Amino acid sequence: MEKRTEPALSPLLLAMRGVVKTFGRSTAVDGIDLDVPERAFLTLLGPSGCGKTTVLRMIAGFETPDSGDMRLDNTPLAAVPPERRPVNTVFQSYALFPHLTVNENVAFSLKLRGGIPDMAARVRRALDAVHMADFGDRYPHQLSGGQQQRVAVARAIIAEPRLLLLDEPLSALDRKMRGHLQIELKALQRRLGIAFVYVTHDQEEAFALSDVVVVMNKGRIAQKADPQTIYSRPADSFVADFIGNSTLVKGQVRERHGDVATIDTPLGNVTAPVADGLAAGDPAVLVIRPELLSARGEGMATLTGTVGNCVFQGERSMIEAEVAGVSLRFAAEAPYSIGSSVPLWLDAGRSFITRVAT
Amino acid sequence: MTFRQRHLALPVAVAIVAGCLAPLAVLVAFSFYEVEDFDLIPAFSFRAWGELATSATDWFLIGKAVLSGVTTTVFTALLGYPVALALTRLATSAKGLAIIVLLTPLYTGEIVRIYAWRIVLGGEGLVNTVLQGLGLIDEPLKFLLFSPFTIGLVLTYNNLPFMVLAIWVSAEMVDRRLIEAARDLGARPVDAFFRVIFPLTTPGLAAGSLTVFALSAGEMLTPSLLGGTSGATAMALVDNLFGTAFDWPLASALALALLATLFLVASAMAGLLLRLKGARAVIGRT
Repeated sequence: MEKRTEPALSPLLLAMRGVVKTFGRSTAVDGIDLDVPERAFLTLLGPSGCGKTTVLRMIAGFETPDSGDMRLDNTPLAAVPPERRPVNTVFQSYALFPHLTVNENVAFSLKLRGGIPDMAARVRRALDAVHMADFGDRYPHQLSGGQQQRVAVARAIIAEPRLLLLDEPLSALDRKMRGHLQIELKALQRRLGIAFVYVTHDQEEAFALSDVVVVMNKGRIAQKADPQTIYSRPADSFVADFIGNSTLVKGQVRERHGDVATIDTPLGNVTAPVADGLAAGDPAVLVIRPELLSARGEGMATLTGTVGNCVFQGERSMIEAEVAGVSLRFAAEAPYSIGSSVPLWLDAGRSFITRVAT
Repeated sequence: MTFRQRHLALPVAVAIVAGCLAPLAVLVAFSFYEVEDFDLIPAFSFRAWGELATSATDWFLIGKAVLSGVTTTVFTALLGYPVALALTRLATSAKGLAIIVLLTPLYTGEIVRIYAWRIVLGGEGLVNTVLQGLGLIDEPLKFLLFSPFTIGLVLTYNNLPFMVLAIWVSAEMVDRRLIEAARDLGARPVDAFFRVIFPLTTPGLAAGSLTVFALSAGEMLTPSLLGGTSGATAMALVDNLFGTAFDWPLASALALALLATLFLVASAMAGLLLRLKGARAVIGRT
């Protein structure tokens, strides 16, 4: 495991150890260990069905783990029902109460605690925090999706939970609104100092928001690290493939010297930084991100490719070039005609050799 | 609703209104007729209405019908909610079976059920025999059969399926994530019921209540055959006046008075339930 990827953060808030959850014959969560430090913005990232939502639901208390241990502030969570966990959730569908006004929705958790003297003021403050103070008397169906989402956030933060869970909260919104709300959520999290556990399948969103990204695959954690590390040093080929537009080239490790190895690939031998635990003879994958390939360079070109596809995107074009049966993706300033030959320079020192995902 | 949709509903609406108003018009006319030597004579007489207005028995029986309808509605609602909510939690395949089982009593026919109740509740019936066998009682419990208790029990039993069905349909429409959201925000299951599930199922409760009220307030057979001395009903009196006593004007006046009273109570019930915020959130979103 990579030791450098654990960021130095504040004390531990939530600890999950060996947590397993099965539904009938399918295993949704297959023995995961997860730590959430105080004030962290942690994102569970993965394709649908990877178990990320189940993890969130177990933290909220809607699902009970089959085995394993979960602690919040070092208190075991097993016997604590959802209503007594200092945890609140922002649901994917917002789940606002249709028969209550915005004010009543936001005040819901305070009312359940009986008479709180400054309730109106607190509701007002929570709505102010999400710029919805003028909408207190509206009903949910009178609001747009983005506005409902803001109300859902206000409702979830008003009781000042230790931990806020967000289940794909922006997935139903259009791209522009999503961008706005990402910035607001991040700012809100910093201001409140509450730990967020955020679930998404959108890697751009995960990178934009998170201190720590946990990539999940088939109920297991594939990698847990800060966004930069996930991006530049993916723990295995699944993470590399899920994260970006990278080209994955299969090969075999020839030799290793410390943090650098040489891999034998159809493109030839490439020397690059290597993941921990890979040794000479192991099957491996060379991860080439689009920005590491260029059609312009100095000296001799590293490779020669044939343009197989070209997508004009305005300020640049995305090119797919064929080299020795491998399709390499890169960006060019001008479009190329299909079938033409193109010299390619590879910045091998910034590519990465990683494990083949199981 | 577009004009075309309204247009399509028109024939049925006309049929319902005509089929409802025509017999009522006949009743209204009859209530002003006179009877002479078992002959119905067209007239404009207030004899029947006057007799009705001064009859304590008639108004007692109308009040009894209302009371019977309201208590049956309350009991079926109290028992129906847990059953309906349990239904929503079953697997889809089990739901169909559960609903068929729920409706089983309705397939057996009322007379069969009434005689079955006599066997179960009688002095030497199932319940008394078992209780005596266990040594819990020395004498058979007399109130089990031919008493107001019997009427209440059997009317509740007969009408429970209608209430459960109505609440169940409404409860299925409540997004389960709303209940999770309530729990997440600090609601115990009982809080979640009163603050989320109950408000959002009031349309179903209203539909069930109106159905059960109408069916039980107008019930005649069960009180007559199982109620003993307490089994007199306004319906039985109407039947008696039409059939045996041949006082059609009084029968018509009594039937109309009963109808008007039940109509008023049902309207009040519907108005009350559908005015709740939860009901408006479900059915009034325009």
